[in-house]
Amino acid sequence: MSLLKLVQNNTKSAFFRCNEPKIFLISSRKLSIVPSIYDGEDPAPKFFSSGIQILLKRLTRPDFAKVFRKRNNSNISVLRTPKYKFVTDEELRMEKLKADKSADRLLQMPPVVKVHKPIDDVLSIDPALIGYDSAKYLFTDISFGVDNEHRTIIERDPDGTLRSCDHAERKRLNQIYFPMQGRKIREPLIFQDEEKFHSLLDRLQYEYVLDRACVQYEPDEPTYHKLTSITYQHIDLKSMYDLLRSTRHFGPLAFYLTWHKSVDNLMLELLQSADVREAVLLLALRQALHGDLSSGEESSALVSQILPTPVQLTKKEQLSEEDIQLDTKCIECVDKYINTNSAMKSQQGLALQGFREHYQQLVELSRGLKKAHGAA
Amino acid sequence: MASKLLALRSLISKPLNLIVNQTPQKLDFVYNLKSFSTTSVSNINFFNKLPAEKLWKSVTSVSNAGAKKGRGKGAGRIRIRDLNRGQIIGVGKVNMLWPGLSAPVIRGRELLKQQRLPDDPERMEKLIKLRDSMTKFRRLKLSPIERGWSGSRMPGRSIGPPDPVVDEEFTGFDTKVLQLRSLLIMKGTLGRTRNYQAMVVTGNGQGLAGFGIGKAKEAPAALRKAKNRAGKKLMNFEIYDGHTIFHDFFTAFGKTKLYVQKKNKGYGLSCHRAIKEICQAIGIKDLRAKLEGSNNLQHIVKAFFIGLLQQRTHQQLAEEKKLHLVEYKAENQNYPTVVASPEYVRTKEEIPKDETLDFIQYVMNDRVILRRKKFPRFFQTMPHYEIYLKKYEKYRNHEKIRLNLKAEYGEIKSFLNDKYPEPKEGKEE
Repeated sequence: MSLLKLVQNNTKSAFFRCNEPKIFLISSRKLSIVPSIYDGEDPAPKFFSSGIQILLKRLTRPDFAKVFRKRNNSNISVLRTPKYKFVTDEELRMEKLKADKSADRLLQMPPVVKVHKPIDDVLSIDPALIGYDSAKYLFTDISFGVDNEHRTIIERDPDGTLRSCDHAERKRLNQIYFPMQGRKIREPLIFQDEEKFHSLLDRLQYEYVLDRACVQYEPDEPTYHKLTSITYQHIDLKSMYDLLRSTRHFGPLAFYLTWHKSVDNLMLELLQSADVREAVLLLALRQALHGDLSSGEESSALVSQILPTPVQLTKKEQLSEEDIQLDTKCIECVDKYINTNSAMKSQQGLALQGFREHYQQLVELSRGLKKAHGAA
Repeated sequence: MASKLLALRSLISKPLNLIVNQTPQKLDFVYNLKSFSTTSVSNINFFNKLPAEKLWKSVTSVSNAGAKKGRGKGAGRIRIRDLNRGQIIGVGKVNMLWPGLSAPVIRGRELLKQQRLPDDPERMEKLIKLRDSMTKFRRLKLSPIERGWSGSRMPGRSIGPPDPVVDEEFTGFDTKVLQLRSLLIMKGTLGRTRNYQAMVVTGNGQGLAGFGIGKAKEAPAALRKAKNRAGKKLMNFEIYDGHTIFHDFFTAFGKTKLYVQKKNKGYGLSCHRAIKEICQAIGIKDLRAKLEGSNNLQHIVKAFFIGLLQQRTHQQLAEEKKLHLVEYKAENQNYPTVVASPEYVRTKEEIPKDETLDFIQYVMNDRVILRRKKFPRFFQTMPHYEIYLKKYEKYRNHEKIRLNLKAEYGEIKSFLNDKYPEPKEGKEE
């Protein structure tokens, strides 16, 4: 400990305000959303496993036009004149690779981890110090090269107990000595005030809320879990998944919905927008998390065939024979799921039927075209 | 002495008596034909002999030599006033009622009689005011929308679309005057005569535009000729992304040199006013142009049009170079967007070593713009500036802090204020 920093804790009340569970009461009155947090089994090992990460990334359906869109919060206040370059094929490939890398960085998903446990670690009790002072003493190790997680922060209470600080105090002191850009010491009003938070959700500013929550909270904080949970459920209720597609929050959203076994709305949206391959990926995700599907084996097997195909951003005009084969398998797989495991059987069945009819037309059209062109 | 005085008094009093005594006699109304005056009474004078026009001329005219010196111009100039303005027949200094002239003959059932009405004291004031208003010089006032580059002068003003050519109407077109000047030409019979020359640009704001020059004896005719000629010489220009040109370019006409730069959305038109009008006619919204050399307006216009016509589209550039053309926008995190690809792409080995690969250098035809070195401002090299910087360094974040406090507490106060409130001025009573 290179430097002991003493904090005259006469702002005790402020500390206590932070600890009060006032903020945990956030719940949607209009929609009566009950936040559910990851407090049982730890989702982290499953979330970080490479198979699931790949599935989530694919489900995000990254559209580079949206990933690299103009952002209001960028540091460029005035637009700049575009720059131009003449490049060869090889150089273009390298540039695309670079862009892919930066897209990966922009689409890196916020981690989904279990809620942390309170720290209750008494280091020593010195009855001789009872009544030495009326204030708490906080000591922070601010030596260089120690990360915020492992920084030693301890407090000496007026009753002579020396113990490790709890998460709220740790976060506050870390922010004071090592400020994180965008994070506030006091909670922003939009997260404090339920009214404001819900007005944001009603205005469909999901990405803003989630981005802001990512900056303000650690991923293992209960408040973060509550806020994101409400936001995800709001999106699910309104079926506004498209707003989060191509952003880094779609993965955690899909993971959240699958973890809490409420994928049916998302499945319906996928079938209605004729994304049967993504529907299979979603089934595979559920199989990987819970393993309770009758069509689980098939979906997991199909994943290896789907992943090499390019991401489908617009509706296809023409189909190759391989496409037709793969899609037929996918339809069968989804059909099996709808018949056995789905909670929205009739709606999803109708959507699938609609897709089938549309697909049949497309198949006939592309086969007819092939014949007309003379390529058998 | 006394008798003399008395006689004088009788003499003085006599006429009085005469008048007093003779008044009843005059009622007979006898014409005095015997004693008429032989002295001539002249009712004709300088002022009523000559017409108003000549009278005014005598006041306002300036000799030829004086006019050459500039006399009779500017502030002290006398202007012709129409003294008849505001005057009505039948109304004069004495306010009389003239039935049949200034009033109807019969009002209701009553026959009106000629009579004197109370005087109107304001009449003369009103007349003087009206006459004064004529003397002051009034500029032709235009609404700000109609106004051109300068006051009520024609350059920069809009004169509407060109006249239709055989049922073909120029819908959506607007014409702007770029130049209107008078030229003096010598003629064998007439000597020096005045001619007007106009240059206008017309366009629909969607890529179609043209310019024309017209000459005539009168300014409106010259403008009309120029406008219609411009309408017949329309050119089509492609606009990149609906707002700017495809690439920077250099163009020249005579001694006029123009460096034109492509700019981002929202930049606006930062260029010569004539180029600005042309850009608006074409539909270009963002561009910067630097003029070098002669600022002859006709040359500027011609140079700019030539430059625009010599532009190459991205596809053409890619084909010329046989390389992909990639666009990088800072607002899109410099994501490489391929804007044009040629049919055949060269490999690195096929590109000669000394070939120009830099985009701007290539489109400027290897012409390099001289960029002047930027010197520090005059005060930045002085010792007091350093002192100022040091002194105000500690205040550099205060503005932000004030803003944060206002957002948090609604006013500027410290967290200690709850415990130790500051005395307020109003509460001290």
